Amino acid sequence: MNPRAESLSFQGHGLLDRRGFLSRSATALGSVALTHLLGREGLLAAQPDASAVLADLAHPNRPRPPHFSPKAQNVIVIFCAGAVSQLETWDYKPELHRWHDKPMPGGPAVTFQGPAGNLARPQYAFRPRGQTGKMVSDLIPHLAELTDDIAFVHSLTSKSNTHGPAENFLSTGFALDGFPSVGSWIGYALGTDNQDLPAFVSLLDPRGVPQNGSNNWGSGFLPATFQGTTWSAQNPVRHLSAPGITREADQAARRLLGQLNQRHLEAHPGDEKLAARIASYELAARMQLSVPEISDLSTEPAYILRAYGADDTGHPIKAGFARNCILARRLVERGVRFVQLFNGAYASGGELNWDGHNKLKEQYDRHASILDQPAAALIRDLRQRGLLENTLVVWCTEFGRMPFFQKGAQGRDHNPDGFTCWMTGAGIRKGVSHGVTDELGRAAVKDIHPLYDFNATLLHLLGLDHERLTFEHNGVQRRLTNVEGHVIREILA
Amino acid sequence: MPCFIPVWIRHLALAFWGAVPLLAEATNNPGTHWAFQPLSQAEPPQPKAVGWARTVPDLWILDALERAGIEPSPEADRIAWLRRVHFDLTGLPPTPEEALAFQRDPRPDATERVVESLLQSPAYGERWGQQWLDVVRYADTHGFEVNTERPNAWPYRDYVIRAFNADTPYPDFIRQQLAGDQHGRDAATGFLVTASVLLPGQIGADDISKRLARQDALDEIVVNTAQSFLGLSIGCARCHDHKFDPISSRDYFGMQAFFAGVEYGDRELTDLETQTRREDIRRWKERKAAVVATLSRLEPLARPGTPTGNSPSGSTAARVALKARMNSDRFAAVTTRRIRFTVLETNSLEPCIDELEVWDLESRNVALASLGTQVRSSGDTTVENRHELRFIHDGQYGNSHSWMSHEKGRGWVVLEFPEPRRIDRVSWARDREGVFSDRLATAYRIEVGTDSGDWITVADASDRKPFEGRNPTADEWELPAAALAELDPRSRQQTQTLLDERLRLERAIAGAVASQHAFAGIFRKPDRIHLLRRGDPEQPGPEVSPAVPEVLGTVRLPADAPEPQRRHALANWLTQPNAPLIARVMVNRIWQGHFGTGLVDTPSDFGRTGSRPSHSGLLDWLAREFIANGGSAKHLHRLIVLSSTYRQSSGHRKEAAALDADARLLWRYPARRLDSEPIRDAMLTVSGELNRQRGGRGFDLFDQRGGLSGFKPVESFSAEGLRRMIYAHKVRREPEAVFGAFDCPDAGQSTSRRRESTTPIQALNLWNSRFTLERSSALARRVRREAGSLPQNQVQRAFLLTLSRHATTAEEQEALEALRGQDLEVLCRALLNSNEFLFIP
Repeated sequence: MNPRAESLSFQGHGLLDRRGFLSRSATALGSVALTHLLGREGLLAAQPDASAVLADLAHPNRPRPPHFSPKAQNVIVIFCAGAVSQLETWDYKPELHRWHDKPMPGGPAVTFQGPAGNLARPQYAFRPRGQTGKMVSDLIPHLAELTDDIAFVHSLTSKSNTHGPAENFLSTGFALDGFPSVGSWIGYALGTDNQDLPAFVSLLDPRGVPQNGSNNWGSGFLPATFQGTTWSAQNPVRHLSAPGITREADQAARRLLGQLNQRHLEAHPGDEKLAARIASYELAARMQLSVPEISDLSTEPAYILRAYGADDTGHPIKAGFARNCILARRLVERGVRFVQLFNGAYASGGELNWDGHNKLKEQYDRHASILDQPAAALIRDLRQRGLLENTLVVWCTEFGRMPFFQKGAQGRDHNPDGFTCWMTGAGIRKGVSHGVTDELGRAAVKDIHPLYDFNATLLHLLGLDHERLTFEHNGVQRRLTNVEGHVIREILA
Repeated sequence: MPCFIPVWIRHLALAFWGAVPLLAEATNNPGTHWAFQPLSQAEPPQPKAVGWARTVPDLWILDALERAGIEPSPEADRIAWLRRVHFDLTGLPPTPEEALAFQRDPRPDATERVVESLLQSPAYGERWGQQWLDVVRYADTHGFEVNTERPNAWPYRDYVIRAFNADTPYPDFIRQQLAGDQHGRDAATGFLVTASVLLPGQIGADDISKRLARQDALDEIVVNTAQSFLGLSIGCARCHDHKFDPISSRDYFGMQAFFAGVEYGDRELTDLETQTRREDIRRWKERKAAVVATLSRLEPLARPGTPTGNSPSGSTAARVALKARMNSDRFAAVTTRRIRFTVLETNSLEPCIDELEVWDLESRNVALASLGTQVRSSGDTTVENRHELRFIHDGQYGNSHSWMSHEKGRGWVVLEFPEPRRIDRVSWARDREGVFSDRLATAYRIEVGTDSGDWITVADASDRKPFEGRNPTADEWELPAAALAELDPRSRQQTQTLLDERLRLERAIAGAVASQHAFAGIFRKPDRIHLLRRGDPEQPGPEVSPAVPEVLGTVRLPADAPEPQRRHALANWLTQPNAPLIARVMVNRIWQGHFGTGLVDTPSDFGRTGSRPSHSGLLDWLAREFIANGGSAKHLHRLIVLSSTYRQSSGHRKEAAALDADARLLWRYPARRLDSEPIRDAMLTVSGELNRQRGGRGFDLFDQRGGLSGFKPVESFSAEGLRRMIYAHKVRREPEAVFGAFDCPDAGQSTSRRRESTTPIQALNLWNSRFTLERSSALARRVRREAGSLPQNQVQRAFLLTLSRHATTAEEQEALEALRGQDLEVLCRALLNSNEFLFIP
């Protein structure tokens, strides 16, 4: 053994044996890897590395520096469950008018749900928007006004054409169940600024949980503390108060618990786990105050409620989604790192989300009336408050839809081969359309980007190298991007 | 794309001190990795300090401590050891009586006695089974977006618990899980299919989707087998040769070929226990038929042709509402050779009837084909082995043995008896198994044939209340309440007894029928397995036959080997005597269960990226000892919990921590927080509410047992809900509302070691949840009952129940102070949240 190793502690020996090999992986090289590994085991002073969190599970949300200087501090992801058709929104395909009601030459006979029908023209009129003249459909007039600030990626692909695995893939980088979601990775990497609030909040649509449920905000094999805390304007965080317990009884019990734990700690000096649990109760007590304060939208002025559509009593679902949008803004204002804002609920034949198989136009009219004004108002509000300087806003959906209708139906089937998501805000180049699908919108043909690239870009904007953000699980250094991923530089400012 | 270490990385790595020998080992001699080597035969070391060691493992621990210059810690107090060993072996705290008795037990073998009684307790398997279920990511739903219920998964969970309780030799445990169908342990093969899976109907209709879904399903089996038994992550080799371990893509697909005939699905159980249960079911069904026949004499007669709106609802003449699960039509006895059932209207689609029964005066079902009765119909929708005309009188219930008409909303069936029968009742249903309620005949007519060829209507729907939708609690046969009220007291008593018996039988049958099947895999002709480029099913390479990884063995079968032989061969290979890797992996899991960290701290990775053991001699000695004792886990538990190492105090010592912060050398017992299940179980234990019912269908944590539309947590538990948490119906990926936050695995991927995180969400859950408040109340009631009304006594009892010790004077004072003007619940809530309650000391 190398003489220098003789002077190492027991853990040091263990590391040399084991990590010496590990460090040769393509992702963790030379001295970077060694400091990473030693730092992780608490053998060196804290390193600017996400893994340090494992040595300090008592303070999982403590802010940690990124790999390099970040463009964005916070993220809001507007997640449209059910697969929004790119052809009715952002990806203008005039050729489809010419080909309307004709079979697609060389097109597939059978797609996800069954036999393919004829090509179908976009169900909404497109018109040029803003300075760039970007063609966007009339389905989403409010969001369409923001196109000058948006960077579109039109050439994304997914690994699955099934909602569950595809939402897994979008949210976790793996089609299988059980991997950590992007918000969990980011909380694990960076912690959060506000210690009185969770690092990662998932705001659920008023109509219900999205198609793939908690997999979209699960922590997989990362420590449980990094999972998204579900919340919404309708359903606040659970267990914020004890039902039926008076304030006096609550305080008496809390005081007594403090005394019990203090005596126990004195009898077990030096045990950080015990101190951490005591601290967690103090944090919890602060959350009991801060969460209701944030959820209370009565302090928002009327013009704000109106701008978001939160006062639309005639359209309670839209008003509910609008309240979630306001909540999203309030969360990032207070330093919450990652907010997932769901638009669309579970599988329901396209009734409650964007899964337009049969009656696409009829259903999209309804869904867009919920999404459009509130989401656009959120982005404007962030910009107006200067929050967009530090906040990245992502709009995404798990895959796109086919250029033809399904046989015997007025809707489009799943299409993982070329679809659109976009980003705006911190670090994003304005008014870009990157990547191209073929003239019928069937598949990406230029600058093709698997969703790995989209997630790699998201991490990059937060100052994280997707290849260095790793966690060891059962012998594999896992990443959000598996062994793939390239940052999409064309959409960076 | 083979991607062993590229040259440029090697060059960089060479510059990195310490790595050179390992690198050479990896690239030149893939087979020399330590974990693949034969077990060391080294004798235990002889540490300098004499008299400390109690069991052989102590010799290694003490020797390593001496080398590091660290003293072991003093022995923990008796109560600390007692709580430790109770939680470790059973996941439950000791009772106050057990604590006091042990404290006073002067016998030299008092500790041995405690350990024996814990190992014999069924609670042992309920704790250690959980750790195995974590590894194999067991759940009671199918996962992915749809996350539907997997209703027959639990027989595997029960198998695991029982296997631990029986101290099943480890080779048998392996063999049964891979090929239990060949060894009288049907449910054990649930191991093969524990993963999330997309079921038919959830997979795309296109062939690419189907091929990918099949590959994913097979991959999960390979990964589970390799991780659980071999401690190797060979899943990487699905897409490329393994970067670190000597596992090639060919090795990976060779392993996959062993499972190429396994499908995810329910299998009918055939083991002895199930056969006995089947006989029970037959008897119970017979008895139930007799009971119902007797009771049905009290049913009101059908009055066909009753004008709409005229059906008298309150009188004894009123008939019960139409149901999907069971309808009975009684009429005045009549002799006939033919009976016709005509559907006039349905609640949806083509009518479907699972069984049409016609009862004679001796309560015999004369409709049965086995009695020579013939059937014809207006026309059928035939789905082979599901909907066929013959199924309407084959004696079998449920949608998969039913008749479906060829027309929407209508259709008829005629039964013709071989000779005239005297009959007075017909019973029929859409689905007696209670799954389906569509396609129900909501208007119908029952007619008997006359000798002259005419038809006379004996019953119809006109005097029934309409179908009210499914009603799980009252879907079976029922007697109108008014009919019972009408009876004289004595008859009413007798009738009630029969009604109760019917209900009991019904439940017994339902329970037993449910356990006829287990989600334990279906075995069929194997698929051909090809090496897939980059793991892509659309890029098949050469065909691969079943084979174990080259570096580990030589077992290889022909490409056309039949299904059972494949799993049999794999099981044989994994259970060959003296397999060093397999024994090392398992003894390490057991060690980890006691100390929180294994000798190898990467319990499912014994490959190159995994850790080296902290005490390699000890690991190998334990593995030898394990093998020599037939793979007995309980033997290892005894060696460990009776050791001096395990008996050390958990007190923190600065000078020792400076040398070994994580106590990997075990200079102290590493105290740790209870896992989620033991917290819940312990709360229920001390509140006196724990329901010790074992096995069977899981209790509900949510308002539904599967599905995609969100899960509303059950807030308040009673009866079944107070069972141990391992008996909860585990919804994949849906954290339990209170305890999920305590690092409870979500059953998405394998969890070989639970993290121990500390978060404010945990604190909110444990402080404010209704679960805690209800346990606090129950504990307070118990304390008042057991300690009387004197506050001092109450405080002392509450401490003894929760912490196995009395309160100190200071603690008693503080508690009494807190209780001034407050209820005892305040103390109970604080104790249930206290660090002392929640930590293994």
